[in-house]
Amino acid sequence: MSTLKSFLRHPTGMIGLIVLLTVVILAVTAPWLFPDDPWDMVGAPFQPPLSEGLWLGSDMLGRDVAAGIAHGARISLIIGVISTLTSLVIGVTIGAIAGYFGGKVDEVMMRITELFQTIPGFILAILLVATIGPKISNIIFAIGIVSWPPLARLTRAEFMRLRGREFVQAAVCQGQHPLTVVLRRILPNAISPIIVTGSLAVASAILIESALSFMGLGDPNLMSWGFMIGAARTVIRQAWWMSVFPGLAILLTVLAINLVGEGLNDTLNPRISRKR
Amino acid sequence: MTDKTLLAIENVSISLPPGADRPFAIESVSLTVNRNEIVCLVGESGSGKSMTAHAILRLLPDRTGVAQGSISFNGNDIAKADEPTMRRLRGGAISMIFQEPLSALNPLARVGQQIAESIITHTKPTPSKEAVDARVQELIRDVGLPDPVALARSFPFQLSGGQRQRIMIAMAMANNPALLLADEPTTALDVTTQKQILALVKKLQSERGMGVLLITHDFGVVADVADRVVVMRNGRVVEQGTVDEVLRNPKDDYTKSLIAAVPGSRSLTKTDRRITGEPLLDAVGLNKTFITKQGMFLPPRRTDAVQNISLGLKARETVAIVGESGSGKSTLGRLIMRLIEPDTGSVHFDGKDLLSQRGEKLRQMRRKIQIVFQDPFAALDPRQKVGDAIAGGPIAYGTPSKEAMADAKRLLARVGLQESAANRYPHEFSGGQRQRICIARALALKPSVLVADEAVSALDVSVQAQVLQLLAELREEMNLAMIFITHDLRVAAEIADRIVVMRRGEIVEQGETQKIFQNPSDAYTRALLDAIPGRTMFAGPGAKQAEVASA
Repeated sequence: MSTLKSFLRHPTGMIGLIVLLTVVILAVTAPWLFPDDPWDMVGAPFQPPLSEGLWLGSDMLGRDVAAGIAHGARISLIIGVISTLTSLVIGVTIGAIAGYFGGKVDEVMMRITELFQTIPGFILAILLVATIGPKISNIIFAIGIVSWPPLARLTRAEFMRLRGREFVQAAVCQGQHPLTVVLRRILPNAISPIIVTGSLAVASAILIESALSFMGLGDPNLMSWGFMIGAARTVIRQAWWMSVFPGLAILLTVLAINLVGEGLNDTLNPRISRKR
Repeated sequence: MTDKTLLAIENVSISLPPGADRPFAIESVSLTVNRNEIVCLVGESGSGKSMTAHAILRLLPDRTGVAQGSISFNGNDIAKADEPTMRRLRGGAISMIFQEPLSALNPLARVGQQIAESIITHTKPTPSKEAVDARVQELIRDVGLPDPVALARSFPFQLSGGQRQRIMIAMAMANNPALLLADEPTTALDVTTQKQILALVKKLQSERGMGVLLITHDFGVVADVADRVVVMRNGRVVEQGTVDEVLRNPKDDYTKSLIAAVPGSRSLTKTDRRITGEPLLDAVGLNKTFITKQGMFLPPRRTDAVQNISLGLKARETVAIVGESGSGKSTLGRLIMRLIEPDTGSVHFDGKDLLSQRGEKLRQMRRKIQIVFQDPFAALDPRQKVGDAIAGGPIAYGTPSKEAMADAKRLLARVGLQESAANRYPHEFSGGQRQRICIARALALKPSVLVADEAVSALDVSVQAQVLQLLAELREEMNLAMIFITHDLRVAAEIADRIVVMRRGEIVEQGETQKIFQNPSDAYTRALLDAIPGRTMFAGPGAKQAEVASA
């Protein structure tokens, strides 16, 4: 409760939250705001912004840019959130096992993590999507696979720190099951930095998805911001609005998520939040 | 005000920010420090003694400040002095040493440089490098450290706690201060080191005719070094006077209770507790070596924490394991708890081999041996309600949760807290209350052995006495055998039937409490006994009556 209160008093965090909520509302209401399929040609091609019925103009095939942005918000947010959840599940599990058991288990887990860290994430994502096919579930899986190592490392460090703490040892002495100790005693005390890093991972997942779509590796049935920029890049000198508006959408969303993440970091970190 | 008066604090109040538990940190505090004397400021945590000292150098936290009163040093009011003046005073005419020398020293600078810095800051024009180096070495020699040249080049982490505190003192002495403020300078140190540091402070003080304001919570320390005593409680001075007046004829009830709470000051009224029979817990030939990797090219460092230790504990018996930091006493406790696995050796509990138990069998044995940790702040999960923490153990062993919670409430009442405490979080309690919660948590499983690992070391003296009393009562009620790990022989004497003295992982002496105090056979035990602060004033149990009379 007090965390919520101090977050509400965090100025940049609040700005981020407002922008992010706007994007979420846009994504949720997209089917009502723009009931037509965003792939439909609704007007003449190359219409500049503020044309008749086309607030943000139309693209080379006469598709509504505004509709594309609204529907693209759904995809960006879904991919950002679900792929982050995937990487959280993988990263926290591996990090928790490595940090709690230590020793040989830790060695093995960390060598696996390093294997993933040495491969450039984006290239691995391209490889995976290109191999298993550009479907939304595959894209989510690919982003999840490339973004868990930092979360695993962070979780491991937190678990190693808390493992030796006396209240954890007391729980062991009380005869509590190792799983109870991990889930009820250690994890709740380690969760704050994981939430913060996870929230920032949403932003980078959106960026990876945009980049994949830009390269033509997005789901071909779904309108996405990255695809819009990628398709419009050849005509950027004649029709700036086709790439600038989706670009702004990416910028604002990622910035908003980063601001929220930073706000969470400040409020969940007791040393900083107490000063407020 | 006479010429002799060095520092006079008159009627000083320090305001706290709104929302604190009281409006003033200290209220109408008056005290004086004369040249060439040691004044001890005594009180429990939260009494405002550190605030008083910090106010002198205006090192108060944000949003607090001197609301009224005057602080005069050498006849000048420094409560309202400007910042440049204060800066000249700090580390110059008034210097300060702190409780924890490791955090007070810069970890990345050589100690010689740090001492030199305080000289250069206060000397205009800047002296030559040779002159500074010579002065640094002289200071290091003055504080009784060997090989000043090599020592000046070492980093703080290479030194022991006592050496670091000596370096802090050397820094404080760098500009020949007239007044030294020492904020609990020996609290973090072992008894034998404490004795040396106190002797050093006293020597430097009398050589230089300094005034010293020494903050402590330990009346033993007061008895050893003080000329005059000021006792504080809840931000007010309750009593002050010469050390003899205050210690022998305390007028205020609070002072009386503090003096009575000094461990070992009570006469030993222990009757023979008739402990017989076979050992309940029998540890034989325990060994544990820690190997720390030191990087790729250095050989790993070996620390023999516990070497070939055998220890028997009979039912209802209390054995105190006494030793300084690094003696392996906590490792021994954790080996018995099986929180650490020994390299070799065996532990038998109730006739069964504890070390060979695995899984469910180990879990069943665990409930019979419980532990109370040193730091009551670290030992409770900040996100778990107190009641859940206590009931968690019995629930894990299959007690229905309603019953376990009812038991937890009863236990809370038994350890002196309200039953409603069960629904609150640990941060709402003080250190002493938290330690009571930890005791309740350990006892909820109805163990037959309780390991108390420095269980009262982090507590104020008066709270310490109450918790010891509680442990002694519970031990009788629940037929507990106890392993009481402590660095403080005075505390051990209060509760133990038998004392085991450890040094560098080995047992140097063991025997009945009375015997250890009256006829210590090992030189190290004798050194420990000699180092007990205030031994002349508060004769330890078993001290000869004549000694008390002559003190």
